Amino acid sequence: MQNILEIESLRKYYGKNNSQTKALDGITFQVMQGEFLGIMGSSGSGKSTLLNCIATVIKPTGGRIVMQGEEIQHLKGDKLAQYRGQMIGYLFQNFELLDNLTGRENILLPLSLHRVPEAESNQRLEKLASYLEVVDVLDKFPSQMSGGQKQRIAAARALILDPALILADEPTGALDSKNAKALMEKMTGLNREQNATILMVTHDSNAASYCKRILFIQDGVIFHELRRDVPRESQQAFYERILKVMAQLGGGSANVL
Amino acid sequence: MFFKLVSRNSKRSRKENGLFFASLLISIVAFYMIQSLSHQDVMIFLAKMESDAVSKLLMMIPLFYGLTLIILFFLIYFASKFQMERRRHEFGVYLMMGMRRSRLFLMLLAEDFRSSVTALLIGLPIAVLLSELVSLITARLVGLGIVGHRFSISLTAILMTAAGFLFIKLTAVLILSGKIARQEIGTLLVEAPEVGKKEKPQVVYVAALITGVLLLAAAYGMAISGIAWSSVPRMGMTLLMGLSGTLLFFFGLRSVMGFFAGHMKKGKELQTFTFRQLEEHVIYRSNTLAISSLLILAALCCFAAGVAMVQTHSGSEQHTLDYTFTDHSAEEVSRTLSEYNLESQFSELFDIKIGFVRTEENDYDNSFQMESVMQALRDMPKSRGRDTLLNNLGYEESPYMISLSGYNQILALAKKPAIELKESQATVYIDPEFAIYDMDQLLNQIMKRNPEVQIRGEKYHLTNEVQTLSIVTDRSITLSFALIVPDEVFEDLTGGEYSSYVNGVLNPDKIKGKSLLNAISETNQKLDRTGLVYESYLQNMGRQLFYVVAASYITIYLAIIFLIIANTVIGVQFLTSQQKTGKRYQTLIQLGATYQTVCDSAGRQIRWYFGIPTVVAVISSIVGVRALFSGLLSPGTQGSIPTMMLISVAMILLLGVVEYIYIKAVKKASNRNILKLMVPEREE
Repeated sequence: MQNILEIESLRKYYGKNNSQTKALDGITFQVMQGEFLGIMGSSGSGKSTLLNCIATVIKPTGGRIVMQGEEIQHLKGDKLAQYRGQMIGYLFQNFELLDNLTGRENILLPLSLHRVPEAESNQRLEKLASYLEVVDVLDKFPSQMSGGQKQRIAAARALILDPALILADEPTGALDSKNAKALMEKMTGLNREQNATILMVTHDSNAASYCKRILFIQDGVIFHELRRDVPRESQQAFYERILKVMAQLGGGSANVL
Repeated sequence: MFFKLVSRNSKRSRKENGLFFASLLISIVAFYMIQSLSHQDVMIFLAKMESDAVSKLLMMIPLFYGLTLIILFFLIYFASKFQMERRRHEFGVYLMMGMRRSRLFLMLLAEDFRSSVTALLIGLPIAVLLSELVSLITARLVGLGIVGHRFSISLTAILMTAAGFLFIKLTAVLILSGKIARQEIGTLLVEAPEVGKKEKPQVVYVAALITGVLLLAAAYGMAISGIAWSSVPRMGMTLLMGLSGTLLFFFGLRSVMGFFAGHMKKGKELQTFTFRQLEEHVIYRSNTLAISSLLILAALCCFAAGVAMVQTHSGSEQHTLDYTFTDHSAEEVSRTLSEYNLESQFSELFDIKIGFVRTEENDYDNSFQMESVMQALRDMPKSRGRDTLLNNLGYEESPYMISLSGYNQILALAKKPAIELKESQATVYIDPEFAIYDMDQLLNQIMKRNPEVQIRGEKYHLTNEVQTLSIVTDRSITLSFALIVPDEVFEDLTGGEYSSYVNGVLNPDKIKGKSLLNAISETNQKLDRTGLVYESYLQNMGRQLFYVVAASYITIYLAIIFLIIANTVIGVQFLTSQQKTGKRYQTLIQLGATYQTVCDSAGRQIRWYFGIPTVVAVISSIVGVRALFSGLLSPGTQGSIPTMMLISVAMILLLGVVEYIYIKAVKKASNRNILKLMVPEREE
């Protein structure tokens, strides 16, 4: 399998000298093609900073982020926009749908940003919409949709340009358990059937149990890693393992296992 | 701490709302200018001659002042409301931290007072300087000369401006901060989403659009046909129909917008987004847009009315004579002038004689009859000019006679060829004030046939074109219809009993280097010692000047105020709602939109947002200005279609410039907003 994303000793410091906060303090890992990777950690652990660095929302202090052989810190202008739009698809905790656009228009927004002719993607739109079960709400406005529908529309928007990597930031954070489960199942399906590569930040152990691999971050460093032993290990068993690690978090490495 | 917070906040709102602040400055300047009108050189000069008219105008100024205060109040109220809405969260935090409501209320008042005072401190000096500049420029333009200019600051104007401005500003903020301070913390802290108004069925909007267009069409029809001007209730009805038509039109506009949003070719980046944003503005702000559009229309109409009035009252008559001495003969005048050593002041002195026809019985009536002319008129196609002529000339039974030699001298001064008359010939004379509706042209058609008329029973033939040069310098006498006859015939017809007007022209050597206005003023002072009864061209000029100055000052003032208010409301509203929906722009950026793309989209929104009300106003103005011309102006001065077209084009060009400036400013502010929304670490 091929590496899609390589993170090399990534650092992000805020502030100066005495008051310096090390949000990320030398993180290194790889994401393989077709992987479903989870990043877990308590709040303030640096997981959102990591995701924001990959999404080029913030600039890291040091280290390298290499996406399909290209170092993204050096991207500028059009290339940067193209990276944001086409290499990665971003799924937000609060959906971030534009409330004055219909579902369809929201999904097609990246096309209009990157001047992709709509005709090409209409087929993909139909396929995604029917897979994500949002065909009925395509012509509705976000205010007329349920939370689950909104997040699935947002998922379709993240996927419409067939990005190399999907970044999901607490995608179940604003959903009830039923809708969260439905979304996670759809994401697993996408990963399994379409070989979509997903990098998901979450602190919901339940959602994390859908991943194939989980990195635990604490105080800006990788503190533990879990791999689900597919297909031998059941999701339930994996979930329990996650809970155990989560219980150790916050207490420092002295308490681990 | 409290005062620090107040000063920081007020500084911040000035920075964030530069557009609004600039508009406040302009309105302060406009306020002062209109208030200090009586201190302008031109007005001081005119007050000597046209004191009645000037004092009437000055009496009207408080009215304009009050009117603009009311309109400006709404601007300030709405603009401040948008600003307050944006700071709701901040107010919530203050209250959460234990600030007392009364203190918050006080803080808001203090903040506003501070920025008002700043606006006055910056605005008033600009206003004083600008008003001096305008005074000097107008004085120079009309030829008053600027030597006598004294720097003047009108204290009352300053006080009135400051008082009025502070009053409306405080009232608006009192109401608004009262409202804010009464709200619960919870509602303040939660970002209030745009209240989702209940969507009505599409039919309602389409019906509103159609009704709006129909009402507007009806209002236009009434205005142009003149029905609107026939009585006050009808005028009221027309205005009401226009107003409700505009409101309904903008209310219904969303139906068209919705249709476009669905059926638009996707070309530019973010086209759907741009359009949806615009649609949202139009839906939530249809009334504000309608009002802004009406204000722009009002500004256009004011401007057009001003231009028309200026045009009407500025020198359409040819200026040939500088002085007319009444009640004296030419010899008397020149004798008196020599006595006072003033004969060199004049290069020409000649008299023009006019008198009635004497009959044997000393009966003035029925001395004249021109049935052939009347018949020729009746045979002409119906027109306003023909009907007026038929009506006026029907009573001409004893017209004035004018002696040919005097009139020929006036022609010579006007550099026109002299007219020649045989003994049994006469030429028609009409004062320029009566030569309206092309009446002179109509008569000229008849004159070509040399119609026969009877004076005291004898046959005369009318010949030459109708003459319309003024026979005196101002208004000693105006003749609606007279006949120019050879001098001998004149003596004979009038029996030697006539009045004589002595016309004079100033010696060009004497007025070299001076403006005509100054030359006449000086000569008047000298003539006043001689006891001669005279009128000078100064009165004529003064009257024209007064109308020009008054009309242009007031209409420009109103037009500026209306334009400022309309544009500021549109601009501030756009910027506030852009800040409110900033999250959307952030999402776009995260989806990979470049700064440029987002700015372009915002720019397109701004252009449309300003464009829609402006275009509606321009279309309405084409009709409105025409209606205004037909209703306000005297028929003779309505001008030809080309002049009206020219005025309209000039007006629209000017409007275009103003809109361009505003769009530019709002775009700049919008780009700044967007840049702030991009995460600062990631500047491109």
